[in-house]
Amino acid sequence: VRWQLCPPQRPLQASAVLRRVSDEQKKEPFASSSQQQFNSQPADHQPEQEPQGPDPSYTGQGGQESEDYESEEQLQHRILTAALESVPEHGWTAEAIAEGAKTLGLSAAAAGMFQSDGSQLILHFVSQCNTKLSELLQQEQKLVEQGEAEKKPTDQFLRDAVEARLRMVIPYIEKWPQALSILLMPHNIPSSLSLLSSMIDDIWHYAGDQSTDINWYTRRAVLTGIYNTTELVMMQDSSPDFEDTWRFLENRVADAMKMGDTANQVQSTGEAIVQGLMGAAVTVSNAETSRALR
Amino acid sequence: KMAGLGSARALRLLSLSLSLSLSRRRGALRGFADGPQMHFGFQTVTEEERREKINRVFESVAKKYDVMNDSMTLGIHRLWKNALVRQMNPSPGTLLLDVAGGTGDIAFRFIDYVRSVRERQLQRRLKHHQNLSWQEIAESYQEDKSPLGDSQVVVCDISKEMLQVGKEKAQDLGYSEGLSWVLGNAEELPFDDDKFDVYTIAFGIRNVTRIDLALQEAYRVLKPGGRFLCLEFSQVRNPLLSRLYDLYSFQVIPVLGEVIAGDWKSYQYLVESIRRFPPQEEFKAMIEDAGFFKVDYENLNNGIVAIHSGFKL
Repeated sequence: VRWQLCPPQRPLQASAVLRRVSDEQKKEPFASSSQQQFNSQPADHQPEQEPQGPDPSYTGQGGQESEDYESEEQLQHRILTAALESVPEHGWTAEAIAEGAKTLGLSAAAAGMFQSDGSQLILHFVSQCNTKLSELLQQEQKLVEQGEAEKKPTDQFLRDAVEARLRMVIPYIEKWPQALSILLMPHNIPSSLSLLSSMIDDIWHYAGDQSTDINWYTRRAVLTGIYNTTELVMMQDSSPDFEDTWRFLENRVADAMKMGDTANQVQSTGEAIVQGLMGAAVTVSNAETSRALR
Repeated sequence: KMAGLGSARALRLLSLSLSLSLSRRRGALRGFADGPQMHFGFQTVTEEERREKINRVFESVAKKYDVMNDSMTLGIHRLWKNALVRQMNPSPGTLLLDVAGGTGDIAFRFIDYVRSVRERQLQRRLKHHQNLSWQEIAESYQEDKSPLGDSQVVVCDISKEMLQVGKEKAQDLGYSEGLSWVLGNAEELPFDDDKFDVYTIAFGIRNVTRIDLALQEAYRVLKPGGRFLCLEFSQVRNPLLSRLYDLYSFQVIPVLGEVIAGDWKSYQYLVESIRRFPPQEEFKAMIEDAGFFKVDYENLNNGIVAIHSGFKL
């Protein structure tokens, strides 16, 4: 309904900053996927900014030229990416976002577009890291398919994936505890949880998990636990190049693997015991019956 | 004796106001012509007449402006203005243009806010430098030549009297740095393009004759990335609250105006101009038409007041 009430085209030439999409060598598909993950703002504004849609090949009605300016969301992503450079100095705050806006040539007041606690900056960063991880895993998979690399065993694969992901945090490690605490705030939990779970899901997917039973859940739960605990260990680690953290990770993954085997063993032992008990019960009931009959 | 006169007069005026406001409201439903005819409260006037009338309104209310604000809103207008500056969340180094900011309320709040942010920044910076000697620390406090961090606010108003009141207030309260007073019309600002970080207009835009021109001027003088903020009376949706609000507005406020400021008509105009101002969504559309992006509004007190915000992107 709102779509119909809007005028068909906003005066795009009035925009002072929103650039044409063609100007950027930009990662549009990634931008839109990360938007879906945590952008809580309604997509109301999108129809107003891009009445012709984000697809550059679309031509507007009535022979109008399709001026594809970037949307507000894309500009926001640009500002947040620029803001990441100021994070080591200012922390994950609105000040860092203001500095980021300034490097893009915008007024610091543009930071008012975001929440004042800096949570959008953190979510943006996490989403960016997850995207990078996906790309990395996809490339590795391609290499394996082309036969240029060996397929790694599961525990090695998981270890490498988690390590690669955690290494992306290293440049910001001093302020990362602050980021973690902000991510745990109630209004951020839905977004941060969904980002985390989609990342873990990605890792398992590329690890080759095709389970369709309870294992799907247990595997993801276990890996989430491993990832979170390793992250916390990394916060307190002061060894060179975080060796202690990677060793911790190795141990946890090994435990998880063993647990998988143990589970099977426990199950078969359990089944054996149950059969034994059943047999005993049958024997006892037979003995009773025969005694009764005597 | 003076008090007795005042209360008798007030009673007479109260009965007068009942009949007057009823007839005015009925009159407004007919004959609102288009074109050069505009509204002045519930009257119909030409553009020029409107500007004249509004000028005269502010000439007469200037001296008692703050007192009347306090009595009409029971002091709540301070909370509204605090909310506006909090939403602005200015960082040191911001250049603010406060239009129709005559008596300086927003400007003073802005300066206070920026000063406290700056102090916190300096404290944090000092904390990081753990190994400074006492002497160096003392020096850093003294050397701070910019307690406001180079932030500045320009107060622009169309009425000389309002600016005068504002300047006197600034002197009384001890605000000297980072403050400028400029006489100007919101429809035609005497500033260059792309100058300011933030443009605010608090309870002023409904007095502007051509709101679209004011919005366009706001767009022009803001830097890319700059923010437009407007604090204004708006529409109350809640029917019960709306009834009470109407009752208070039309019966109590003009009487207060007569008793405290000796000026019935100006406050009658005030109340009527509030009713004439477009509702939240319509005003939001007007702001978008001027070219602002990410336009949004926040209702305070159920819609009695709304803060509209937009960015020049």
